[in-house]
Amino acid sequence: MRSTADMAPPSAAAVDTPNVTDPSLYLEGIPHDRFAQIRATPGLAWHPYEDGGFWAVTRHAEVRHVSRNPELFSSAIGHTNLWDLEADALEARRSLIDTDAPDHTRLRRLVAGAFTPKNIRRWEETVRAITGELLDEFVAQGGGDWVDMVAAPLPIQVILTMLGVPTDDADYLVELSNYLVEGTGDAQSIPPDAFGNTTELRLLPFNSPASHALFEYGEGMRQQRQNDLRDDLVSHLVQAESDVERMSRNEYRNMFHLLVFAGNETTRTAISHGGMALAAFPDEWQRVLDDPGLIDSAAEEVLRWATPVMHMRRTATTNSELAGTPIAEGDKVVMWYASANRDEAVFEDPFRFDVSRANSNHFAFGGGGPHLCLGAFLARLEVTVLLEEMAKRSICLEQTSEPVRARSNFVHGVLSVGMQPAGGTN
Amino acid sequence: MAGEEMVRVAVDQELCIGAGVCELLEPEVFELDNDIVISSVTGDELLPRARADVVVDRCPSRAIAIVEEEL
Ligand code: HEM
Repeated sequence: MRSTADMAPPSAAAVDTPNVTDPSLYLEGIPHDRFAQIRATPGLAWHPYEDGGFWAVTRHAEVRHVSRNPELFSSAIGHTNLWDLEADALEARRSLIDTDAPDHTRLRRLVAGAFTPKNIRRWEETVRAITGELLDEFVAQGGGDWVDMVAAPLPIQVILTMLGVPTDDADYLVELSNYLVEGTGDAQSIPPDAFGNTTELRLLPFNSPASHALFEYGEGMRQQRQNDLRDDLVSHLVQAESDVERMSRNEYRNMFHLLVFAGNETTRTAISHGGMALAAFPDEWQRVLDDPGLIDSAAEEVLRWATPVMHMRRTATTNSELAGTPIAEGDKVVMWYASANRDEAVFEDPFRFDVSRANSNHFAFGGGGPHLCLGAFLARLEVTVLLEEMAKRSICLEQTSEPVRARSNFVHGVLSVGMQPAGGTN
Repeated sequence: MAGEEMVRVAVDQELCIGAGVCELLEPEVFELDNDIVISSVTGDELLPRARADVVVDRCPSRAIAIVEEEL
Protein backbone atom coordinates (compact mmCIF):
# COMPACT_ATOMS: atom_id res chain seq x y z
CA MET A 1 0.00 0.00 0.00
CA ARG A 2 1.09 3.55 -0.70
CA SER A 3 1.65 5.21 2.67
CA THR A 4 0.06 8.59 3.31
CA ALA A 5 3.55 10.11 3.18
CA ASP A 6 3.76 9.41 -0.55
CA MET A 7 0.18 10.38 -1.26
CA ALA A 8 1.75 13.49 -2.74
CA PRO A 9 2.05 13.20 -6.53
CA PRO A 10 4.33 10.21 -7.11
CA SER A 11 5.54 11.47 -10.46
CA ALA A 12 6.55 14.85 -11.78
CA ALA A 13 3.95 14.66 -14.56
CA ALA A 14 1.23 14.67 -11.92
CA VAL A 15 1.72 18.32 -11.16
CA ASP A 16 0.19 19.28 -14.49
CA THR A 17 -2.56 16.67 -14.72
CA PRO A 18 -5.67 18.62 -15.67
CA ASN A 19 -8.69 17.99 -13.48
CA VAL A 20 -11.21 15.65 -15.12
CA THR A 21 -13.30 14.76 -12.06
CA ASP A 22 -15.06 18.03 -11.26
CA PRO A 23 -18.70 17.10 -12.03
CA SER A 24 -19.54 20.63 -13.09
CA LEU A 25 -17.14 20.32 -16.06
CA TYR A 26 -19.50 17.76 -17.52
CA LEU A 27 -22.37 20.20 -17.68
CA GLU A 28 -20.62 21.43 -20.84
CA GLY A 29 -19.85 17.93 -22.11
CA ILE A 30 -16.83 15.64 -21.75
CA PRO A 31 -13.65 17.73 -21.27
CA HIS A 32 -12.04 16.12 -24.33
CA ASP A 33 -9.24 18.69 -24.57
CA ARG A 34 -8.10 17.74 -21.07
CA PHE A 35 -8.21 14.03 -21.85
CA ALA A 36 -6.25 14.63 -25.07
CA GLN A 37 -3.59 16.38 -23.02
CA ILE A 38 -3.36 13.44 -20.58
CA ARG A 39 -3.28 10.91 -23.45
CA ALA A 40 -0.38 12.78 -25.04
CA THR A 41 1.70 12.68 -21.85
CA PRO A 42 3.95 9.60 -21.69
CA GLY A 43 3.38 7.17 -18.82
CA LEU A 44 0.34 7.27 -16.56
CA ALA A 45 -0.87 10.50 -15.04
CA TRP A 46 -1.46 10.73 -11.29
CA HIS A 47 -4.72 12.59 -10.73
CA PRO A 48 -5.38 14.06 -7.30
CA TYR A 49 -8.78 13.16 -5.88
CA GLU A 50 -10.19 14.02 -2.46
CA ASP A 51 -7.36 13.32 0.00
CA GLY A 52 -5.57 10.88 -2.29
CA GLY A 53 -5.59 10.28 -6.00
CA PHE A 54 -5.66 7.73 -8.79
CA TRP A 55 -3.80 6.70 -11.90
CA ALA A 56 -5.68 8.11 -14.87
CA VAL A 57 -5.58 5.46 -17.61
CA THR A 58 -6.64 7.27 -20.77
CA ARG A 59 -5.22 5.37 -23.76
CA HIS A 60 -7.03 2.46 -25.43
CA ALA A 61 -4.19 -0.06 -25.09
CA GLU A 62 -3.71 0.57 -21.39
CA VAL A 63 -7.42 0.58 -20.59
CA ARG A 64 -7.55 -2.81 -22.22
CA HIS A 65 -4.62 -4.05 -20.15
CA VAL A 66 -6.28 -3.00 -16.88
CA SER A 67 -9.65 -4.42 -17.89
CA ARG A 68 -8.31 -7.79 -19.02
CA ASN A 69 -6.05 -8.42 -16.03
CA PRO A 70 -8.49 -8.60 -13.12
CA GLU A 71 -5.97 -10.53 -11.04
CA LEU A 72 -3.81 -7.39 -11.05
CA PHE A 73 -6.63 -4.85 -10.97
CA SER A 74 -9.52 -5.82 -8.71
CA SER A 75 -13.17 -4.77 -8.86
CA ALA A 76 -13.85 -6.12 -5.36
CA ILE A 77 -11.46 -3.93 -3.35
CA GLY A 78 -12.33 -0.40 -2.28
CA HIS A 79 -15.04 0.37 -4.85
CA THR A 80 -15.48 0.56 -8.63
CA ASN A 81 -16.32 4.27 -8.35
CA LEU A 82 -13.70 6.91 -7.58
CA TRP A 83 -14.27 7.15 -3.86
CA ASP A 84 -13.54 4.34 -1.40
CA LEU A 85 -16.33 2.80 0.63
CA GLU A 86 -16.03 1.67 4.22
CA ALA A 87 -15.93 -2.11 4.52
CA ASP A 88 -19.52 -2.49 5.76
CA ALA A 89 -20.86 -0.19 3.06
CA LEU A 90 -18.97 -2.06 0.34
CA GLU A 91 -20.42 -5.36 1.57
CA ALA A 92 -23.96 -3.99 1.75
CA ARG A 93 -23.73 -2.44 -1.71
CA ARG A 94 -21.71 -5.13 -3.49
CA SER A 95 -23.25 -6.22 -6.80
CA LEU A 96 -21.94 -8.22 -9.76
CA ILE A 97 -19.98 -5.18 -10.89
CA ASP A 98 -17.97 -5.03 -7.62
CA THR A 99 -16.83 -8.65 -7.55
CA ASP A 100 -13.84 -10.68 -8.73
CA ALA A 101 -13.77 -14.36 -9.65
CA PRO A 102 -14.95 -16.73 -8.26
CA ASP A 103 -17.91 -14.68 -6.94
CA HIS A 104 -18.08 -12.82 -10.23
CA THR A 105 -18.18 -16.03 -12.27
CA ARG A 106 -20.91 -17.49 -10.06
CA LEU A 107 -23.15 -14.41 -10.16
CA ARG A 108 -22.51 -13.66 -13.82
CA ARG A 109 -23.49 -17.17 -14.91
CA LEU A 110 -26.79 -16.78 -13.05
CA VAL A 111 -27.83 -14.04 -15.46
CA ALA A 112 -25.58 -14.52 -18.48
CA GLY A 113 -27.93 -16.95 -20.25
CA ALA A 114 -30.60 -14.33 -20.80
CA PHE A 115 -28.14 -11.91 -22.39
CA THR A 116 -26.12 -13.95 -24.88
CA PRO A 117 -26.24 -12.65 -28.45
CA LYS A 118 -28.21 -15.71 -29.50
CA ASN A 119 -30.86 -15.38 -26.79
CA ILE A 120 -31.10 -11.60 -27.10
CA ARG A 121 -32.22 -12.03 -30.71
CA ARG A 122 -35.53 -13.43 -29.41
CA TRP A 123 -36.38 -9.93 -28.16
CA GLU A 124 -36.05 -8.28 -31.53
CA GLU A 125 -39.78 -8.12 -32.31
CA THR A 126 -40.58 -6.79 -28.82
CA VAL A 127 -37.95 -4.09 -29.21
CA ARG A 128 -39.21 -3.25 -32.70
CA ALA A 129 -42.81 -2.91 -31.56
CA ILE A 130 -41.93 -0.63 -28.63
CA THR A 131 -39.62 1.47 -30.83
CA GLY A 132 -42.18 1.84 -33.60
CA GLU A 133 -44.84 3.06 -31.18
CA LEU A 134 -42.54 5.64 -29.60
CA LEU A 135 -41.36 6.96 -32.98
CA ASP A 136 -44.88 7.20 -34.36
CA GLU A 137 -45.94 9.18 -31.32
CA PHE A 138 -42.86 11.41 -31.62
CA VAL A 139 -43.74 12.18 -35.25
CA ALA A 140 -47.45 12.63 -34.51
CA GLN A 141 -46.63 15.19 -31.80
CA GLY A 142 -44.25 17.01 -34.13
CA GLY A 143 -41.37 16.24 -31.76
CA GLY A 144 -40.61 17.34 -28.22
CA ASP A 145 -38.13 16.20 -25.60
CA TRP A 146 -36.17 13.38 -27.26
CA VAL A 147 -35.12 11.97 -23.88
CA ASP A 148 -38.64 11.88 -22.51
CA MET A 149 -40.30 10.66 -25.68
CA VAL A 150 -37.82 8.12 -27.03
CA ALA A 151 -34.46 7.71 -25.27
CA ALA A 152 -35.83 6.98 -21.79
CA PRO A 153 -38.97 4.93 -22.48
CA LEU A 154 -37.41 2.50 -24.97
CA PRO A 155 -34.76 0.86 -22.75
CA ILE A 156 -36.82 0.91 -19.56
CA GLN A 157 -39.76 -0.77 -21.28
CA VAL A 158 -37.49 -3.42 -22.75
CA ILE A 159 -35.64 -4.30 -19.54
CA LEU A 160 -38.87 -4.30 -17.51
CA THR A 161 -40.44 -6.67 -20.03
CA MET A 162 -37.46 -9.02 -19.73
CA LEU A 163 -37.57 -8.86 -15.93
CA GLY A 164 -41.32 -9.39 -15.84
CA VAL A 165 -41.94 -6.05 -14.11
CA PRO A 166 -45.18 -4.27 -15.14
CA THR A 167 -44.31 -1.58 -17.70
CA ASP A 168 -46.94 0.65 -16.05
CA ASP A 169 -44.28 1.29 -13.43
CA ALA A 170 -41.73 2.49 -16.02
CA ASP A 171 -42.14 6.18 -15.17
CA TYR A 172 -41.62 5.55 -11.46
CA LEU A 173 -38.50 3.45 -12.09
CA VAL A 174 -37.07 6.05 -14.51
CA GLU A 175 -37.65 8.68 -11.81
CA LEU A 176 -35.70 6.54 -9.33
CA SER A 177 -32.88 6.13 -11.88
CA ASN A 178 -32.67 9.89 -12.31
CA TYR A 179 -32.13 10.29 -8.57
CA LEU A 180 -29.45 7.59 -8.68
CA VAL A 181 -27.55 9.53 -11.37
CA GLU A 182 -27.72 12.62 -9.15
CA GLY A 183 -26.05 10.48 -6.50
CA THR A 184 -23.00 10.07 -8.78
CA GLY A 185 -22.56 13.85 -8.80
CA ASP A 186 -22.18 16.13 -5.85
CA ALA A 187 -25.72 17.41 -5.40
CA GLN A 188 -28.80 15.40 -4.47
CA SER A 189 -32.20 17.00 -4.76
CA ILE A 190 -34.04 14.67 -2.37
CA PRO A 191 -33.75 14.44 1.42
CA PRO A 192 -32.17 11.36 3.10
CA ASP A 193 -35.58 10.16 4.29
CA ALA A 194 -37.21 10.33 0.85
CA PHE A 195 -39.29 7.26 -0.08
CA GLY A 196 -39.49 6.38 3.62
CA ASN A 197 -35.79 5.58 3.74
CA THR A 198 -34.30 4.96 7.19
CA THR A 199 -31.00 3.37 6.07
CA GLU A 200 -27.79 5.39 6.41
CA LEU A 201 -27.08 6.77 2.94
CA ARG A 202 -23.49 5.44 2.88
CA LEU A 203 -24.92 1.90 2.90
CA LEU A 204 -27.01 2.55 -0.23
CA PRO A 205 -25.85 2.41 -3.86
CA PHE A 206 -25.03 5.93 -5.12
CA ASN A 207 -25.64 7.14 -1.53
CA SER A 208 -29.20 7.67 -2.68
CA PRO A 209 -32.48 7.15 -0.84
CA ALA A 210 -33.84 6.17 -4.26
CA SER A 211 -31.85 2.94 -3.85
CA HIS A 212 -33.98 2.13 -0.83
CA ALA A 213 -37.09 2.54 -2.99
CA LEU A 214 -35.63 0.34 -5.70
CA PHE A 215 -34.71 -2.34 -3.14
CA GLU A 216 -38.27 -2.25 -1.78
CA TYR A 217 -39.62 -2.62 -5.28
CA GLY A 218 -37.35 -5.60 -5.99
CA GLU A 219 -38.38 -7.23 -2.72
CA GLY A 220 -42.04 -6.82 -3.67
CA MET A 221 -41.34 -8.52 -7.00
CA ARG A 222 -39.48 -11.32 -5.22
CA GLN A 223 -42.40 -12.02 -2.92
CA GLN A 224 -44.86 -12.00 -5.81
CA ARG A 225 -42.84 -14.42 -7.92
CA GLN A 226 -41.95 -16.74 -5.05
CA ASN A 227 -45.37 -18.37 -5.25
CA ASP A 228 -45.99 -17.69 -8.90
CA LEU A 229 -42.91 -18.51 -10.97
CA ARG A 230 -43.12 -17.36 -14.58
CA ASP A 231 -40.93 -17.33 -17.64
CA ASP A 232 -39.18 -14.08 -16.74
CA LEU A 233 -35.87 -12.89 -15.35
CA VAL A 234 -37.15 -12.09 -11.85
CA SER A 235 -38.51 -15.65 -11.53
CA HIS A 236 -35.15 -16.95 -12.68
CA LEU A 237 -33.39 -14.89 -9.98
CA VAL A 238 -35.93 -15.91 -7.34
CA GLN A 239 -35.26 -19.56 -8.12
CA ALA A 240 -31.53 -19.00 -7.78
CA GLU A 241 -32.04 -17.10 -4.54
CA SER A 242 -33.90 -20.06 -3.03
CA ASP A 243 -30.49 -21.78 -2.84
CA VAL A 244 -28.11 -19.63 -0.82
CA GLU A 245 -25.12 -21.41 -2.35
CA ARG A 246 -26.15 -19.84 -5.64
CA MET A 247 -27.31 -16.41 -4.53
CA SER A 248 -27.92 -14.71 -1.20
CA ARG A 249 -30.86 -12.38 -0.45
CA ASN A 250 -28.50 -9.41 -0.46
CA GLU A 251 -27.12 -10.50 -3.84
CA TYR A 252 -30.66 -10.74 -5.23
CA ARG A 253 -31.45 -7.24 -4.00
CA ASN A 254 -28.33 -5.73 -5.53
CA MET A 255 -28.71 -7.69 -8.78
CA PHE A 256 -32.28 -6.44 -9.24
CA HIS A 257 -31.08 -2.89 -8.55
CA LEU A 258 -28.19 -3.22 -11.02
CA LEU A 259 -30.34 -4.68 -13.81
CA VAL A 260 -32.96 -1.94 -13.54
CA PHE A 261 -30.42 0.88 -13.32
CA ALA A 262 -27.81 -0.35 -15.80
CA GLY A 263 -30.54 -1.66 -18.10
CA ASN A 264 -32.09 1.73 -18.65
CA GLU A 265 -29.83 4.60 -17.72
CA THR A 266 -26.95 3.75 -20.03
CA THR A 267 -28.95 2.88 -23.13
CA ARG A 268 -31.01 6.01 -22.62
CA THR A 269 -27.77 7.98 -22.68
CA ALA A 270 -26.64 6.24 -25.87
CA ILE A 271 -29.93 7.07 -27.61
CA SER A 272 -29.86 10.67 -26.36
CA HIS A 273 -26.40 11.26 -27.80
CA GLY A 274 -27.30 9.21 -30.86
CA GLY A 275 -30.19 11.57 -31.63
CA MET A 276 -27.98 14.60 -31.09
CA ALA A 277 -25.31 13.17 -33.42
CA LEU A 278 -27.83 12.45 -36.18
CA ALA A 279 -29.08 16.03 -35.90
CA ALA A 280 -25.57 17.49 -35.82
CA PHE A 281 -24.29 15.44 -38.76
CA PRO A 282 -27.23 15.15 -41.18
CA ASP A 283 -24.94 14.12 -44.03
CA GLU A 284 -23.84 11.07 -42.07
CA TRP A 285 -27.47 10.12 -41.38
CA GLN A 286 -28.28 10.65 -45.05
CA ARG A 287 -25.57 8.09 -45.90
CA VAL A 288 -27.40 5.56 -43.72
CA LEU A 289 -30.74 6.41 -45.34
CA ASP A 290 -29.14 5.86 -48.73
CA ASP A 291 -27.43 2.63 -47.71
CA PRO A 292 -29.12 0.58 -44.95
CA GLY A 293 -26.05 -1.67 -45.04
CA LEU A 294 -24.43 0.97 -42.84
CA ILE A 295 -26.85 0.48 -39.93
CA ASP A 296 -24.60 -1.85 -37.95
CA SER A 297 -21.51 0.32 -38.18
CA ALA A 298 -23.64 3.41 -37.50
CA ALA A 299 -24.95 1.78 -34.29
CA GLU A 300 -21.39 1.04 -33.15
CA GLU A 301 -20.42 4.62 -33.95
CA VAL A 302 -23.33 5.92 -31.86
CA LEU A 303 -22.08 3.81 -28.94
CA ARG A 304 -18.49 5.02 -29.32
CA TRP A 305 -19.66 8.61 -29.74
CA ALA A 306 -21.93 8.48 -26.69
CA THR A 307 -19.71 6.51 -24.27
CA PRO A 308 -22.51 6.53 -21.68
CA VAL A 309 -20.29 5.17 -18.88
CA MET A 310 -17.27 7.44 -18.82
CA HIS A 311 -15.03 5.49 -16.46
CA MET A 312 -14.75 2.54 -14.10
CA ARG A 313 -12.20 2.14 -11.37
CA ARG A 314 -10.05 -0.80 -10.29
CA THR A 315 -7.67 -1.21 -7.34
CA ALA A 316 -4.19 -2.71 -7.75
CA THR A 317 -3.82 -6.04 -5.97
CA THR A 318 -0.04 -6.03 -6.28
CA ASN A 319 2.86 -3.91 -7.49
CA SER A 320 3.09 -3.78 -11.27
CA GLU A 321 4.05 -1.48 -14.09
CA LEU A 322 2.01 0.08 -16.86
CA ALA A 323 3.23 2.39 -19.61
CA GLY A 324 6.55 2.48 -17.77
CA THR A 325 4.89 3.82 -14.63
CA PRO A 326 5.13 1.76 -11.44
CA ILE A 327 1.78 1.06 -9.80
CA ALA A 328 1.75 0.15 -6.10
CA GLU A 329 -0.53 -2.36 -4.42
CA GLY A 330 -3.64 -0.54 -3.21
CA ASP A 331 -3.44 2.26 -5.78
CA LYS A 332 -6.64 3.32 -7.49
CA VAL A 333 -6.53 2.84 -11.25
CA VAL A 334 -9.25 4.52 -13.31
CA MET A 335 -10.06 3.45 -16.87
CA TRP A 336 -11.40 6.45 -18.76
CA TYR A 337 -13.53 4.90 -21.48
CA ALA A 338 -14.51 8.43 -22.57
CA SER A 339 -10.87 9.02 -23.45
CA ALA A 340 -9.99 5.59 -24.89
CA ASN A 341 -12.90 6.01 -27.32
CA ARG A 342 -11.22 9.14 -28.73
CA ASP A 343 -7.69 7.67 -28.77
CA GLU A 344 -6.11 8.91 -31.99
CA ALA A 345 -3.72 5.92 -31.95
CA VAL A 346 -6.69 3.59 -32.53
CA PHE A 347 -9.47 5.62 -34.15
CA GLU A 348 -8.66 7.57 -37.25
CA ASP A 349 -9.94 11.12 -36.94
CA PRO A 350 -11.60 10.24 -33.59
CA PHE A 351 -13.63 13.43 -33.29
CA ARG A 352 -15.42 12.75 -36.55
CA PHE A 353 -18.82 10.99 -36.33
CA ASP A 354 -18.39 8.42 -39.09
CA VAL A 355 -21.23 5.96 -39.72
CA SER A 356 -18.98 3.72 -41.78
CA ARG A 357 -16.05 3.59 -39.35
CA ALA A 358 -14.27 0.32 -39.91
CA ASN A 359 -12.84 -0.03 -36.42
CA SER A 360 -15.64 -0.90 -34.02
CA ASN A 361 -13.39 -1.90 -31.13
CA HIS A 362 -14.69 0.85 -28.87
CA PHE A 363 -14.89 0.59 -25.11
CA ALA A 364 -18.44 1.81 -24.52
CA PHE A 365 -19.11 -1.57 -22.88
CA GLY A 366 -15.84 -1.69 -20.96
CA GLY A 367 -12.26 -2.47 -21.89
CA GLY A 368 -12.77 -6.07 -22.98
CA GLY A 369 -12.33 -7.82 -19.62
CA PRO A 370 -14.70 -10.05 -17.62
CA HIS A 371 -16.96 -7.19 -16.55
CA LEU A 372 -17.84 -6.66 -20.21
CA CYS A 373 -21.30 -5.16 -20.08
CA LEU A 374 -23.88 -7.88 -19.50
CA GLY A 375 -26.38 -5.93 -21.57
CA ALA A 376 -24.04 -5.17 -24.48
CA PHE A 377 -25.97 -7.22 -27.03
CA LEU A 378 -29.32 -5.99 -25.76
CA ALA A 379 -28.17 -2.37 -25.97
CA ARG A 380 -26.80 -2.97 -29.49
CA LEU A 381 -30.12 -4.48 -30.51
CA GLU A 382 -32.00 -1.45 -29.17
CA VAL A 383 -29.77 1.08 -30.92
CA THR A 384 -29.77 -0.91 -34.18
CA VAL A 385 -33.54 -1.35 -34.23
CA LEU A 386 -34.02 2.34 -33.43
CA LEU A 387 -31.89 3.34 -36.42
CA GLU A 388 -33.70 0.84 -38.65
CA GLU A 389 -37.13 2.09 -37.63
CA MET A 390 -36.08 5.71 -38.07
CA ALA A 391 -34.71 4.91 -41.53
CA LYS A 392 -37.89 3.03 -42.44
CA ARG A 393 -39.90 6.18 -41.60
CA SER A 394 -37.29 8.50 -43.19
CA ILE A 395 -37.08 10.44 -39.95
CA CYS A 396 -34.39 13.10 -39.85
CA LEU A 397 -33.87 14.98 -36.61
CA GLU A 398 -33.53 18.70 -36.05
CA GLN A 399 -32.38 19.78 -32.63
CA THR A 400 -34.61 22.52 -31.21
CA SER A 401 -32.96 23.20 -27.85
CA GLU A 402 -29.62 22.83 -26.10
CA PRO A 403 -29.23 19.62 -24.12
CA VAL A 404 -29.41 19.72 -20.33
CA ARG A 405 -26.57 17.47 -19.23
CA ALA A 406 -26.13 15.49 -16.02
CA ARG A 407 -23.75 16.91 -13.43
CA SER A 408 -21.73 13.69 -13.29
CA ASN A 409 -18.21 12.54 -14.17
CA PHE A 410 -19.48 8.96 -14.37
CA VAL A 411 -22.64 8.80 -16.49
CA HIS A 412 -22.58 10.92 -19.66
CA GLY A 413 -26.24 11.67 -19.06
CA VAL A 414 -28.57 13.97 -20.94
CA LEU A 415 -31.62 15.05 -18.96
CA SER A 416 -33.46 16.64 -21.86
CA VAL A 417 -32.93 17.81 -25.43
CA GLY A 418 -35.54 19.11 -27.84
CA MET A 419 -35.89 17.44 -31.25
CA GLN A 420 -38.30 17.67 -34.11
CA PRO A 421 -38.73 15.32 -37.03
CA ALA A 422 -38.06 16.47 -40.55
CA GLY A 423 -38.61 14.33 -43.60
CA GLY A 424 -35.48 12.97 -45.26
CA THR A 425 -34.92 12.80 -48.97
CA ASN A 426 -35.15 9.16 -49.79
CA MET B 1 -7.77 -19.39 -47.58
CA ALA B 2 -5.27 -21.56 -49.37
CA GLY B 3 -2.39 -22.67 -47.25
CA GLU B 4 -3.69 -20.97 -44.12
CA GLU B 5 -2.66 -22.71 -40.94
CA MET B 6 -5.52 -24.34 -39.00
CA VAL B 7 -5.45 -24.52 -35.22
CA ARG B 8 -7.50 -26.19 -32.52
CA VAL B 9 -9.07 -24.07 -29.77
CA ALA B 10 -10.12 -24.98 -26.23
CA VAL B 11 -12.32 -23.36 -23.58
CA ASP B 12 -11.35 -23.27 -19.92
CA GLN B 13 -14.75 -23.88 -18.39
CA GLU B 14 -13.67 -22.64 -14.97
CA LEU B 15 -13.00 -19.21 -16.42
CA CYS B 16 -15.92 -18.96 -18.85
CA ILE B 17 -18.53 -16.39 -17.79
CA GLY B 18 -21.01 -17.20 -20.56
CA ALA B 19 -20.86 -13.85 -22.35
CA GLY B 20 -21.38 -15.59 -25.68
CA VAL B 21 -18.83 -13.58 -27.65
CA CYS B 22 -17.24 -16.78 -29.03
CA GLU B 23 -20.60 -18.17 -30.10
CA LEU B 24 -21.33 -14.94 -31.94
CA LEU B 25 -17.97 -14.82 -33.71
CA GLU B 26 -17.62 -18.53 -34.54
CA PRO B 27 -21.00 -20.26 -34.25
CA GLU B 28 -19.68 -23.36 -36.00
CA VAL B 29 -17.08 -23.93 -33.31
CA PHE B 30 -18.44 -22.66 -30.00
CA GLU B 31 -21.72 -23.41 -28.34
CA LEU B 32 -23.10 -22.17 -25.04
CA ASP B 33 -25.02 -24.63 -22.93
CA ASN B 34 -28.28 -22.85 -22.12
CA ASP B 35 -28.61 -24.37 -18.64
CA ILE B 36 -25.15 -23.96 -17.21
CA VAL B 37 -24.22 -21.03 -19.51
CA ILE B 38 -20.72 -22.25 -20.20
CA SER B 39 -19.18 -22.43 -23.63
CA SER B 40 -17.64 -25.50 -25.16
CA VAL B 41 -16.09 -26.42 -28.46
CA THR B 42 -18.38 -28.53 -30.59
CA GLY B 43 -16.79 -31.53 -32.23
CA ASP B 44 -13.17 -30.96 -33.09
CA GLU B 45 -13.64 -27.97 -35.31
CA LEU B 46 -10.55 -26.17 -36.40
CA LEU B 47 -10.13 -22.51 -37.11
CA PRO B 48 -7.73 -20.59 -39.31
CA ARG B 49 -5.12 -19.10 -36.98
CA ALA B 50 -6.08 -15.49 -37.71
CA ARG B 51 -9.71 -16.11 -36.76
CA ALA B 52 -8.71 -18.10 -33.68
CA ASP B 53 -6.55 -15.15 -32.60
CA VAL B 54 -9.59 -12.86 -32.81
CA VAL B 55 -11.73 -15.08 -30.56
CA VAL B 56 -8.91 -15.51 -28.08
CA ASP B 57 -8.49 -11.75 -28.08
CA ARG B 58 -12.19 -10.97 -27.66
CA CYS B 59 -13.08 -13.53 -24.99
CA PRO B 60 -13.71 -11.29 -21.96
CA SER B 61 -12.64 -13.87 -19.39
CA ARG B 62 -9.54 -15.04 -21.31
CA ALA B 63 -11.03 -18.54 -21.26
CA ILE B 64 -10.11 -19.50 -24.83
CA ALA B 65 -6.69 -20.69 -25.86
CA ILE B 66 -5.13 -22.10 -28.98
CA VAL B 67 -4.00 -25.65 -28.35
CA GLU B 68 -0.58 -25.86 -29.90
CA GLU B 69 -0.13 -29.35 -31.31
CA GLU B 70 1.08 -31.05 -34.45
CA LEU B 71 -1.79 -31.39 -36.90
C1 HEM C 1 -25.50 1.50 -24.33
C2 HEM C 1 -25.82 0.90 -23.25
C3 HEM C 1 -24.85 0.42 -22.19
C4 HEM C 1 -23.58 0.83 -21.91
C5 HEM C 1 -22.77 1.90 -22.61
C6 HEM C 1 -23.12 0.02 -20.79
C7 HEM C 1 -21.85 0.14 -20.22
C8 HEM C 1 -21.33 -0.75 -19.31
C9 HEM C 1 -19.95 -0.77 -18.89
C10 HEM C 1 -18.87 0.19 -19.35
C11 HEM C 1 -19.80 -1.80 -18.03
C12 HEM C 1 -18.48 -2.29 -17.47
C13 HEM C 1 -18.21 -2.05 -16.06
C14 HEM C 1 -16.77 -2.35 -15.70
O1 HEM C 1 -15.87 -2.26 -16.55
O2 HEM C 1 -16.56 -2.66 -14.53
C15 HEM C 1 -21.10 -2.41 -17.87
C16 HEM C 1 -21.38 -3.47 -17.04
C17 HEM C 1 -22.66 -3.96 -16.86
N1 HEM C 1 -23.80 -3.63 -17.57
FE1 HEM C 1 -23.93 -2.31 -19.05
N2 HEM C 1 -24.11 -0.83 -20.41
C18 HEM C 1 -25.18 -0.64 -21.26
C19 HEM C 1 -26.38 -1.31 -21.24
C20 HEM C 1 -26.71 -2.27 -20.34
C21 HEM C 1 -27.97 -2.96 -20.33
C22 HEM C 1 -29.09 -2.79 -21.32
C23 HEM C 1 -27.92 -3.78 -19.27
C24 HEM C 1 -29.06 -4.68 -18.90
C25 HEM C 1 -29.03 -5.73 -18.29
C26 HEM C 1 -26.62 -3.63 -18.62
C27 HEM C 1 -26.17 -4.32 -17.50
C28 HEM C 1 -24.86 -4.34 -17.06
C29 HEM C 1 -24.39 -5.18 -15.97
C30 HEM C 1 -25.22 -6.12 -15.15
C31 HEM C 1 -23.00 -4.94 -15.85
C32 HEM C 1 -22.03 -5.61 -14.88
C33 HEM C 1 -21.35 -6.76 -15.57
C34 HEM C 1 -20.30 -7.43 -14.73
O3 HEM C 1 -19.78 -6.82 -13.78
O4 HEM C 1 -20.01 -8.60 -15.02
N3 HEM C 1 -25.92 -2.71 -19.31
N4 HEM C 1 -22.01 -1.77 -18.68
